[in-house]
Amino acid sequence: MSKDKTFLALADFLIPAHGDMPAFGSVCSFADAQKALDFRVDLKEGFDRGLDADPALSAEAHLEKLNKEDGAAFSAVTTVAICTYYMNPRVRELLGYPGQESVQYDSKATQIYLTDGSLGHVLARGRKYRPTPGL
Amino acid sequence: MNVESLSERGARARRDEEVDVAIVGAGPSGSVAALHLARAGLSVVVLEQGEWPEYNDYTGARPEHELVSTKLWHPNPNVRDNPNDYPVDTSTTDINPLMFAGVGGSATLYGAQWMHFLPSDFRVRSLDGVAEDWPFTYEDLLPYQLEIEREVGVSGLAGDPAFPPRGPYPFPALPMGSVGLRGALGMERMGWHWWPGSNAIPSEKFGELNACVRRGTCLTGCPEGAKSTTDRSHWPLALKAGARLVTRARVKEVETNEQGLATGVVYVDANGRDRRQRAKVVILCANGVGTPRLLLMSGGAKNPDGLANSSGMVGKRLMMHPFASILASYEDPLDSWRGPFGQQVYSLEFYESDERRGFVRGSKWNCMPSGGPVGMSGAIGSKVYVAEEGRFQDFWGANLHENVARRFGHSLIWGIVGEDLPEEDNQVVLSKDLVDSDGLPAPQIVYKVNENSNRLLQFNIDRCLESVHAAGAIETLVSTPVRESGWHLIGTTVMGDDPKRSVVDQWGACHDVPNLYIMDASTFPTSGATNPTATIMAVALRNTRRMIAERRNQKVA
Ligand SMILES: Cc1cc2nc3c(=O)[nH]c(=O)nc-3n(C[C@H](O)[C@H](O)[C@H](O)COP(=O)(O)OP(=O)(O)OC[C@H]3O[C@@H](n4cnc5c(N)ncnc54)[C@H](O)[C@@H]3O)c2cc1C
Ligand code: SF4
Repeated sequence: MSKDKTFLALADFLIPAHGDMPAFGSVCSFADAQKALDFRVDLKEGFDRGLDADPALSAEAHLEKLNKEDGAAFSAVTTVAICTYYMNPRVRELLGYPGQESVQYDSKATQIYLTDGSLGHVLARGRKYRPTPGL
Repeated sequence: MNVESLSERGARARRDEEVDVAIVGAGPSGSVAALHLARAGLSVVVLEQGEWPEYNDYTGARPEHELVSTKLWHPNPNVRDNPNDYPVDTSTTDINPLMFAGVGGSATLYGAQWMHFLPSDFRVRSLDGVAEDWPFTYEDLLPYQLEIEREVGVSGLAGDPAFPPRGPYPFPALPMGSVGLRGALGMERMGWHWWPGSNAIPSEKFGELNACVRRGTCLTGCPEGAKSTTDRSHWPLALKAGARLVTRARVKEVETNEQGLATGVVYVDANGRDRRQRAKVVILCANGVGTPRLLLMSGGAKNPDGLANSSGMVGKRLMMHPFASILASYEDPLDSWRGPFGQQVYSLEFYESDERRGFVRGSKWNCMPSGGPVGMSGAIGSKVYVAEEGRFQDFWGANLHENVARRFGHSLIWGIVGEDLPEEDNQVVLSKDLVDSDGLPAPQIVYKVNENSNRLLQFNIDRCLESVHAAGAIETLVSTPVRESGWHLIGTTVMGDDPKRSVVDQWGACHDVPNLYIMDASTFPTSGATNPTATIMAVALRNTRRMIAERRNQKVA
């Protein structure tokens, strides 16, 4: 089997369709995975090894074997699959994840714990530290 | 002038020039010493094995963030595999030490949780009958603490009843966000202490620091230039005051003369050549692993056990704050990828000793957001919540989607920092076979989590689970002790009055070599349970001020 087909079979086993969430292969391609790999050249060798599949093995059996015999390759294939998936804009939209966005706020705004009495309870519970003068 | 243009400056000292002070390490402690010594008119050269940070390399604002940061910005130098770091032999430790080499030091990757020690931390022997009291007190250090907070640009809310009354923080506390509010709710329901987080992250623009925009990637470098690191808070001012900074300069030895006084250091430059920097005074600020490593590499044939080590204490008493982490998920959304990743809320409910608990000393808890979907899957990355023997299928397939749906955006993390007691068997030694990129021996960590720490962590985990369940948690995952959690490196060149039992005096001067100083957390007799950088910088300032005041009496070669 070609590398791209092997990868997509493994990725679809790892990340199948479930509820509203699509399977890996229905939103991401092998080219996306290769682009992701460009950010992590340290994974390239393991990734390539991980795709050297025995055609007689199912995706699950292949992953099981990799996990037991070549942890680095298992880690490379799974890392690339999951990161490619969660970088995908459609997947992020479905999750409601805008990425690590910047959020403006008013640093001088009165915080709710000052008005709802909760911090007042902490103060009312009194001193916690052990004073040490004289020791 | 901006930080980037300043980084072009800072030339090396002239060949054979003897400077007043050579400092090893440009992290928080070295930066404080450099700034204040240069301002006092002393000639200062700082040697740092790492480089200036490249803010464009921080990927926090980009989609590939989680993919890149698990390697490039991993806090473990062995994973990062960058030749500027030295590797660490971790074959004999329960906890991996974490650090970063560069201008700004390990704080490049710190959470910026800012919390100084409490009064009892300086009086552990008197109060609890363990370890040693410090040679100075909370009250002695407080003025330096408040001064450092103004230099760093700390945000926080004064008035916490867990501390004696103290002055205000320079900036208002950062917003707590849904994560912090949920963490506080659990504590409130239990009737326990909590307080809005204090962080070395200004909530407003301050000098070279921009206002934090809650991007939430502080632990992998702040792409906004908002998290306070000394490349922005101290170095622009230090360079202006005349301090010189040499990057990619790895110090391999502190040299001494016949009288046993320090004469300078030898370092390997960026081209792999040995160079000598002569100095009247040498200050080590290379952290609780790098400083003892350098002393053990120094001293020559006359000192086979290393320099400044007549007490035999160099490298011993390593404390790393065993750490437990509780991930709690809730039905309702908490936007839990939003920052700051520093502490949104902290608790000192269990900080002080209570003998009924079956252990001495205590803990600090900090409530943090849990991050992006890859981290929440539990499938890759740090694997903190994944049992070694777990089946891979538990984290993939339908389970992956369900885990992410339950946790991502709906969870918080309570981190439990436990006070670590000093034990001589927990130590830094030189590795016999591992070397750094210059062929110098790597440090080896010999460290076991002790029984006191195990009991302390279990007690606190049990309490923390009560608190998160009181706030409605639907799932909890516990990791203890977290192996990748040696972010606080303390105690390996202990300070004290007795030269037979300690390496430095209360001002950081080595008993054996009076013009060799240590100003990082290596000198701390005990570890407290707070994140240490606030105290490290305050102690460095106190020592530096004393050095300046006493400079005419300083013995030099
Ligand atoms: C992931 C992480 C999270 C953290 N979070 C927090 C937090 O939230 N709050 C907190 O208070 N603390 C935190 N810390 C700890 C904090 O970073 C350290 O306490 C602080 O950086 C120590 O300052 P330092 O200057 O003593 O040492 P470092 O910052 O470690 O600096 C030492 C410097 O010395 C250099 N060096 C070492 N050996 C040599 C040599 N032989 N030659 C030349 N240079 C050398 C190193 O390259 C390094 O730059 C965290 C640390 C990590 C790793
Ligand atoms: S939360 Fe603030 S300090 Fe942290 S990375 Fe984001 S902007 Fe920087």
